[in-house]
Amino acid sequence: MKGRLLACLAVLFLTVNTIPPLPAVQAAPQVSLNFMVWTFAIDTINDNIKKFQQRHPNVNVRLVDYNWGQYPDTIIANFVSGSNAPDVLYSSDHWLQQWAAAGWIVPLDDYFPQITQMAKTFSKYAVEGMSYNGKIYGLPYYADPMAFFYNDAILKKAGITKPPATWEELLQQARTIKQKGLVQYPIGFGFSQQEPFSIEVFISMVYSRGGNLFDKDQNPVFNRPGSALVQTIAWIRDAMRAGVMHPESLQWDGVQAGNAMRAGQQVFSISRASALASFNDPKQAKDAGHFKIALMPGSTHETVGFVRFYAMSSQVPKRGKEALEAAWNFLNYFGGPGADNSYPVVRRWALDFGLGFAQEPLFKDKDILASFGKWVDVPLLQRIGSRYARVKQGLTPWFAQWDVFARAELQRAYLGQITPDQAAANLAAKWNELRRK
Amino acid sequence: MGEVSKSVSASAQRLGRLSRPRRAVSAYPYLSILPALLIIALVSVYPLFFALDLSLHRNVLTEPLSHPYVGLQNFAETFGSYYFLRALGRTLQFTALIIAGTICYGVAVGLYLNRPGRLPGIARVAILLPWAIPTVMAAIIWRWIFNGTYGALNAVLAEAGLISSYVSWLGSPTLAPLTLVVTHIWKWGPLAAIMCLATLQVIPRDLYEAATIDGGGRWAAFRHITLPFLRPTVLLLLILETIGGFVTFDLIYVLTGGGPADATTMLAWFAYAEIFRFLNLGKGAAMAFIIAAITFGLALIYVRLLRSEEMYAG
Repeated sequence: MKGRLLACLAVLFLTVNTIPPLPAVQAAPQVSLNFMVWTFAIDTINDNIKKFQQRHPNVNVRLVDYNWGQYPDTIIANFVSGSNAPDVLYSSDHWLQQWAAAGWIVPLDDYFPQITQMAKTFSKYAVEGMSYNGKIYGLPYYADPMAFFYNDAILKKAGITKPPATWEELLQQARTIKQKGLVQYPIGFGFSQQEPFSIEVFISMVYSRGGNLFDKDQNPVFNRPGSALVQTIAWIRDAMRAGVMHPESLQWDGVQAGNAMRAGQQVFSISRASALASFNDPKQAKDAGHFKIALMPGSTHETVGFVRFYAMSSQVPKRGKEALEAAWNFLNYFGGPGADNSYPVVRRWALDFGLGFAQEPLFKDKDILASFGKWVDVPLLQRIGSRYARVKQGLTPWFAQWDVFARAELQRAYLGQITPDQAAANLAAKWNELRRK
Repeated sequence: MGEVSKSVSASAQRLGRLSRPRRAVSAYPYLSILPALLIIALVSVYPLFFALDLSLHRNVLTEPLSHPYVGLQNFAETFGSYYFLRALGRTLQFTALIIAGTICYGVAVGLYLNRPGRLPGIARVAILLPWAIPTVMAAIIWRWIFNGTYGALNAVLAEAGLISSYVSWLGSPTLAPLTLVVTHIWKWGPLAAIMCLATLQVIPRDLYEAATIDGGGRWAAFRHITLPFLRPTVLLLLILETIGGFVTFDLIYVLTGGGPADATTMLAWFAYAEIFRFLNLGKGAAMAFIIAAITFGLALIYVRLLRSEEMYAG
């Protein structure tokens, strides 16, 4: 009995020591990503992050948000100080060239060659807006053409049957509406110096007249006598003098101009096309359902198409392969089709918030078409995006600085403190000075 | 005599014994203040020299690898800039208005608060509320009040029949600088009033009684008794408001953003824009030195005036 027990123990001992142990399961190393955004729908972003982390449990995303108006200043301060620099972040065609030239963000196609193929599915203006020196620096967060908005209900009350096709016609319609006592200031824009969209509104107005800002070598052409830029400034000045454009426009950002539209205090405006979703939301506007988009008044109806995108900072490649892999998974999930080709985040922004997109396959998504159809003429929106939208001219490392200067200088011309020609000359001089430096 | 010499030699011996510890004691005060000096050097002296170094180099954030020495070029470009001179002119205008406004407000309200009665007593506490509110909060409050579409000021004026349509206070290049002046006086006037009140309360009552006996009216008493006593306080306010005018930034940031056009672009805002919008640290630092030099120069003039007043009073 004793011998049998000893034999069993011996067998057990041998078994335990001869069977090779199971290989230890190697947990993927934990990677953290600092994600910086401007403040918009933070709850949704957090939820998107949560869902992303469920798919990629080894990636820990830390979200930081800053006010839209102060976003570029704050991000620059973070990059320069280096202590709170982002890994992945929102960027815009406005700032791309400046940030890329400074080496703060890196070209994605250098690290993720698959981007080149993916970019073929994006709208042309969006790809151009995310490119610098032939390299792609982002995946689109959202993209939109700038569109002309009008309140159909007030137009009908004024006996006007169709939206204006030219800028002169717009002025005439505004005068009629004012004379009939329907609205005191029928036109209003978000031209605040703090509003990055203000230059997009202005350039859209220039494009719609068939104008250009720069030639192919980035030399200013807007300072030529009678240029579209000069005509646009003169038009805005005349609209203000005629009392049909809200004088607060010079201090309004896009949200405030939109609020005036939603409150029925304004009839015409220019904004990103997807803003129409909130205008036609009955919870947000008393005239919901009556806000429409039209082709930009003018001879060519061209407009600006802009893109805001997810960029990757230069500190990610320095952190090694794991960080790069985590960043790619993040970028693909948030700005690309994702692992299952479902465009999880882009689609959500479109369905829940009506945000425009550059990912063209989504124009065939039945849910999106049905959702957008509730607030916008979808074929017209598509036509504006594909046929009339152009990327902003002059996107260079000094564009952002020139833009800031232009906002104040244009306001001086709107107010009649300087002539449109003087403003054009000053803008050209500043452009050349920044370029030289 | 012998007692004295003994005493002297004993003292000398004592001194001799104490000579080593005395050296240690003499180092003690310096060691005591060393931590404070180090902190001051870190937060004041080092940044000052760093800023001076910045101002002598071309330092643009988008060119992180190139910071060539440019000497006084940043200063020369600043002084030669049309936009800088416009900002300087607007700063001087704003400063003159807030000096006049705050001092008038301070003296008038101080005189009212110095009166006996329950209402001035309550007002003495209530008047300090705007001063206790952070400047950014004050600016946000006034931005709502001045709003051209739904602002309280327009509503009140329209209700009173003083305006037929809403006025764009912040959108007008003439009115926008005045909104800054009003907000500044609302915010800082109470401090001026309390300072004036403190001075008014030490004026002997019998001086006013003597003036009344001599047949002097209220204006004569104010001019010959109250004002001379208030003069040092007013000069102090002059210095504070001058510095305040030149460094005003937060109000502009929240209320007008420097606009419309450049109607409210003053020196501090101009320097901010140069650094954070145009990303030119070198020129921004040069501007900061220029602003500091102007305010320092004006403060020196005022201090000299204040000293002469003290001598006069003495």
